[in-house]
Amino acid sequence: MTPELEHRTPPPVLAARGITKSFPGVRALDRVDLEVAEGEVHAVLGQNGAGKTTLMNILFGLIHPDEGEVYLRGRRVRFRSPHDALASGIGMVHQTRRLVPAHTVLENLVLGHPRARGLLDLRRARQELEALCARYGVHVDLEARVWQLSEGEKQWVEILKALYAGVRILILDEPTSALTPPEVQALLRALRALVDQDGVTVVLVTHKLPVVRAVARTVTVLRAGRVAARLSVSDTTDHELVQHMVGQEVTLPTVQAPDRRGPVVLEVEDLSAYNDKGVLSLRGVSFTVHEGEIVGVAGVTGNGQEELAQVLAGLRPAVSGRVRLLGRDVTHLPTLDRWRLGLGYVPAERTEVASVAALSLVENTGLNYHFDPEFCPRGMLDRTRLERLTRQILATFRVKAPHPYVRAQHLSGGNLQKLVLGRVLSRQPRLLVAHLPTQGLDVEAAAFVRAQLLEAKARGAAVLLISEDLDEIFAVSDRVGALYEGRFVALVPRNEVDPETVGAWMAGSLGRRA
Amino acid sequence: MRIGAYRLSVERAEAPSPARVALGALLAVALALLLASVLFWTPESGPWTAYRIAFGYAFANPSGLGATVHRAVYLLLCTLAFLIPLRGGLWNIGLPGQVYAGALAAFAVPFWAGARELGSGTAGGVALLSMPLAAALAGAALGALVGLLRAKLAVNEILVTMMLNSVMFWLVSDFIKEGGAFMSATAEGESFTLPEAFRPPLPLGLPPSAFLGLAAAVVVDFVFSRAAAGYRVRTFGLNPQAARYAGIDPVRVSLWVFVLGGAFSGLAGYHYFAAVPGLYKIPTNYGYYGDLSFYGIICALIARGSAVGAVPMALLFAGLSVGGRFAQGALRLPFGVDYAILGLLMTTFVFSHLVDRYRVVWRPTAPAPTSAPPRPEGAR
Repeated sequence: MTPELEHRTPPPVLAARGITKSFPGVRALDRVDLEVAEGEVHAVLGQNGAGKTTLMNILFGLIHPDEGEVYLRGRRVRFRSPHDALASGIGMVHQTRRLVPAHTVLENLVLGHPRARGLLDLRRARQELEALCARYGVHVDLEARVWQLSEGEKQWVEILKALYAGVRILILDEPTSALTPPEVQALLRALRALVDQDGVTVVLVTHKLPVVRAVARTVTVLRAGRVAARLSVSDTTDHELVQHMVGQEVTLPTVQAPDRRGPVVLEVEDLSAYNDKGVLSLRGVSFTVHEGEIVGVAGVTGNGQEELAQVLAGLRPAVSGRVRLLGRDVTHLPTLDRWRLGLGYVPAERTEVASVAALSLVENTGLNYHFDPEFCPRGMLDRTRLERLTRQILATFRVKAPHPYVRAQHLSGGNLQKLVLGRVLSRQPRLLVAHLPTQGLDVEAAAFVRAQLLEAKARGAAVLLISEDLDEIFAVSDRVGALYEGRFVALVPRNEVDPETVGAWMAGSLGRRA
Repeated sequence: MRIGAYRLSVERAEAPSPARVALGALLAVALALLLASVLFWTPESGPWTAYRIAFGYAFANPSGLGATVHRAVYLLLCTLAFLIPLRGGLWNIGLPGQVYAGALAAFAVPFWAGARELGSGTAGGVALLSMPLAAALAGAALGALVGLLRAKLAVNEILVTMMLNSVMFWLVSDFIKEGGAFMSATAEGESFTLPEAFRPPLPLGLPPSAFLGLAAAVVVDFVFSRAAAGYRVRTFGLNPQAARYAGIDPVRVSLWVFVLGGAFSGLAGYHYFAAVPGLYKIPTNYGYYGDLSFYGIICALIARGSAVGAVPMALLFAGLSVGGRFAQGALRLPFGVDYAILGLLMTTFVFSHLVDRYRVVWRPTAPAPTSAPPRPEGAR
């Protein structure tokens, strides 16, 4: 029973019919139809791995469907490459940034512009772009180098780039996943302006219901590569949408982890570190994490969280201070020795750091086991054993993968994250450092990951959770703190503070210092 | 393209099957030979005669076959020297320099034993063994320098190895020129000839370095597919960040792949100049053999990182360069046809790799959608 939209009189500006696309072992899309009306925000909602990004990549000409057709203003089109799509007025902003970091914003915006063939008229381009920024209330320094920008700013550069190239249909793939709450609000405001004032059509891929509610008029819900529903947003409830997304009543796992704080596992003392640009971005942090305890560290990205996680994992040198793991000074110990001592680290970058795209899932499991004598007797990898463990992780962590020998690059973000977490937890670490473990995950997967953190705690692990999501931090943490400009604003028991206060800490409103 | 109810399209393909790879390789060879046949067209004879002579000499004539096999072993050792760092994501372009280092170190052993003055000298097993060992160590030392610079200071390994090639070229020249330490009795810009006693035995007509090369190819493939060490190198090569996350030490990987690569290059230098019958010296045109080592790069790339898979490639390249040179003399063909064939082969192999990444798909077009959006008048 698929609720259908009543037939609209104007023809859809962009439509897809019967799109089917398979990757080795996975049918990513199965006879998917999509209709987007002119001048609306159409949301494409679905869980991780539902096929949203694949569908968008097809509309943008990045990949070709096995079957099915794409129609633009009623006319069948077949894009050989994104170049064709851009020429037809379709632009896309991907989940990952595609900018030249060493170039200025202006240079990036001009790059690939239809007019920028031979000589660049940067002065004219600047004037036009300044007008464009003013129109949408965007503040981006056109002379700044892209590597200096925040994630939100970079995303704006990509949106501006599409608009500057004159696109009439803008595809945004998970545009809010890397943004802070105020940035999300600004983006949604601008999207509304884009649609209402300029009649641009927006296709918005997301798994966040509030985002759909805030801007979209119609929504297509994808589930496991099929269209689960096409609805008008105003005629539906959140509950209904979630049901279509998940396919059944959502039962979020609930884990009750008893509060049995044990001895200190991690002891950090006056720790400082430089970031990649050579700026001291972690400045004298001190704290402890006990056995059976989750310490939640909130903060807006770029306030020293990444540096903290990396110093703890041995991937970044400490400028000063000390790190003790289980009583042992590990400040200058190589990463490998920390793994052996009982460190478990789930980095924020699951595709770049926590996995090797071109290796199979079994070989990716090897990342956490290549030094383990049980898995490498006499220096030889025991493949049977690794495969058995991988199968176990796939099953327990409900990772959707056709088989354990599929390459990691074929897994969706959420499934990859579950796999990474499963790998790390399978080592039964004494200390778990989890950095943005649910970023970009859908409701169900995020709840699952949080439940796993609680289970680790129940097993006696010390957990350091670094997150931007206050709900998440408050849902699982025993103590809560916030990093601002490389320092702890505070670190207090959860029941002594409310999310609003921590939100203020994140924004630099100094309460009390730990 | 539409044909009736079917659509023909070219799409990106996933990893091709081994059978397809082998077929592609065969087709690439056939295409290269077909293209090269233009060069062999002379008024007296067609390409068929030329190929018969070239292949006949390279693979059926006893002395030609010997030359082919010796050269193939040299190429195989150079292939290993390039392939090991490549699996770690690093480019060893320093093959000639490491080959020269190996040759110099190998000749240093008889030099110190007084072979140059005596003309013969006495050598036992120790001297015979220490020659390849010295060669491997010299190549490894040169490689270690590159690996360390890369790992500790992030100096680009391609630039360093290229410059070391030049340094080593002139160092050899200095050693063998008139007045150089290794100069020959006649001072003709080549090294002294290795006395009988320092020449290795030739079981089955092959120097021990040939067997060593073949065995090493098998071991290298095994290590990369099964051993934890090979896994670490591969992981580092595919994603250095993930490797660091997993506790794999980038300094150790960079250093070891270059030490091993350099050692194989050094052995190649020993093999060609000190172990292959008929030469037993560093000749005037040592630069030609140095340049030949670059074919190791081509072999490794064509074999897609498989050392055993590179064996037939090394044989083919060696046979074509030996046979092509012979046919060139026999038929008075233009100078350089041997290099022309090798160049064409490289091109067709690269092309076959490109073709492997795509597939031609032939499928029925989707049935007309029942709820197709209304088409404006006049549009198709």
